[in-house]
Amino acid sequence: MHIKGKMRDILKNLFFAAIGCGIIFNVNPLYADEQEFLETDTVPPPSLTEYAETAAKEPGFDAGKVIIDHILDAYDWHLFDIGPKEISLPLPVILFYEGRFYFFLSSRFDHGHEAYKGFRIAHEGPRKNRIIRVLDDGKTPDPEASFVLDLSITKNVLSIFIGATLLCLIFVGIGKKYKHQGSRAVPSGLQSFLEPLVLFVRDEIALSAIGPKHYERFLPYLLSLFFFIFLNNILGLVPFFPGGANVTGNISVTLVLAMFTFLTTQLFANKGYWQHIFNTPGVPWWLKLPIPLMPMIELVGVIIKPFVLMIRLFANITAGHMIILGFVSLIFVLGEVSNAFGMAISPLSLVFLVFMGFLELLVAFLQAYVFTLFSALFFGMAVPEEHH
Amino acid sequence: MELLTPGLGLIFWMTLSFGIVLLILRKFAWAPILGTIREREREIAISLRNAQHIKRELQELEVLKKQKVADAEKQHQEILIKAKTEAENLLREARIKASDDAHQLLENARKAIDVQRKSAMLEIKQQIANLSVDMAEKVLQEEFSDKDKNTRFVNGELEKVILN
Repeated sequence: MHIKGKMRDILKNLFFAAIGCGIIFNVNPLYADEQEFLETDTVPPPSLTEYAETAAKEPGFDAGKVIIDHILDAYDWHLFDIGPKEISLPLPVILFYEGRFYFFLSSRFDHGHEAYKGFRIAHEGPRKNRIIRVLDDGKTPDPEASFVLDLSITKNVLSIFIGATLLCLIFVGIGKKYKHQGSRAVPSGLQSFLEPLVLFVRDEIALSAIGPKHYERFLPYLLSLFFFIFLNNILGLVPFFPGGANVTGNISVTLVLAMFTFLTTQLFANKGYWQHIFNTPGVPWWLKLPIPLMPMIELVGVIIKPFVLMIRLFANITAGHMIILGFVSLIFVLGEVSNAFGMAISPLSLVFLVFMGFLELLVAFLQAYVFTLFSALFFGMAVPEEHH
Repeated sequence: MELLTPGLGLIFWMTLSFGIVLLILRKFAWAPILGTIREREREIAISLRNAQHIKRELQELEVLKKQKVADAEKQHQEILIKAKTEAENLLREARIKASDDAHQLLENARKAIDVQRKSAMLEIKQQIANLSVDMAEKVLQEEFSDKDKNTRFVNGELEKVILN
């Protein structure tokens, strides 16, 4: 636990460092451009937010925007640029609005510049970067519009589909192999790489956290969870299509994963678990009556546990993506100041990128492990063996 | 889509895909994989136990074998010793018997020779007596005329013969 705690501290620091990087890169080019701007123009300098809007329209490299655009979900999958032209994979938009379904490709939005059938990607406001209903002019948000249910196959959804398909293909294939070869065969190929991981999840996570009596019930879920997170973490590190989406660094995805763990915990919980919450053993009675202080704390804990799971995975993976993109952006940011600068910094950036790549591989495994281990620990608490 | 606000669409698709993944993997992956691994572990445990059992049996057999070999060795030695002594006994007996036989033969021969000699002696004596008688008869016939002389002569001769 000591080493684990230390690792978490390091990762936490990295997260803040990454946010720091994001801020620095966001400000630096602006600052550089501002100097230029001041020299060439006599107009009084606009405020930073005002400037940010104009800067976004101007060509040039904005590291902050690049990083945030990557971290967030998108309606199309940006593949690469050819000169000023963005090449991206248009993805299906599925909307449910006022009892009607709308299906169309996201290319209709022209990267968010156009409105289609009265829908548009918002550029500001509380629903920024999401699809909103607009008035006939194609710009102003419709103030009377009701809720738009957005079930679009976004970049992350497609990435989840790819990850899930890959996961099923890999493990169903291996399952067949096991079934076909029987217990006498020596594992070979991918099987021999994955079997130690399966055994690791079974012995080091499920068995040690839940105990020998109940662990088998939770094992399929824990294995699926582990490999789903692990595979998507790894896919997120692949810098080109079909990898590179920030799936496990998306709060919706980690929310669903944490929700599965939460629901499984509650569904499988036995009497001992509820007794521990409402009548915690070993606690003086006045903490339970007349004000049920302990039960309240315990109930909050029930919610907080999966909540922490959700935040941890999201923050760690997002931070990793931010740092890696930060080092990539560094080359372009400095290259924009002067070519020589960019050349000079690229070997250094490359070294850090390689280092971060390895660190992220470790984090990809570690976070899958931590999420699964904590899920297993919660299951272990849900099915305590009666030995008080 | 902002960083910290979950999107409904993504939650919906994620729940759906993860749920399907859970179901598929549970049925088609984890069941055979875990089952086979468990089966294999069981077999390994049994094999280990068997191996230990066999090892113990082998050890017992080894002890038994050694004992058997030692027994055989002992028996072999005993047989050798016995055979040797028997051979020696036989030889000694044979030798004794042979020498006895030889003695016996010698004895018999000697006795036969004795008998022969005695009978030969007897015969010779007989012959001599006969001869003497014959001679005496002839001498008597020739010398009968000189009775005194003859008588003296005969007496003297007889005396000599008897003395011889």
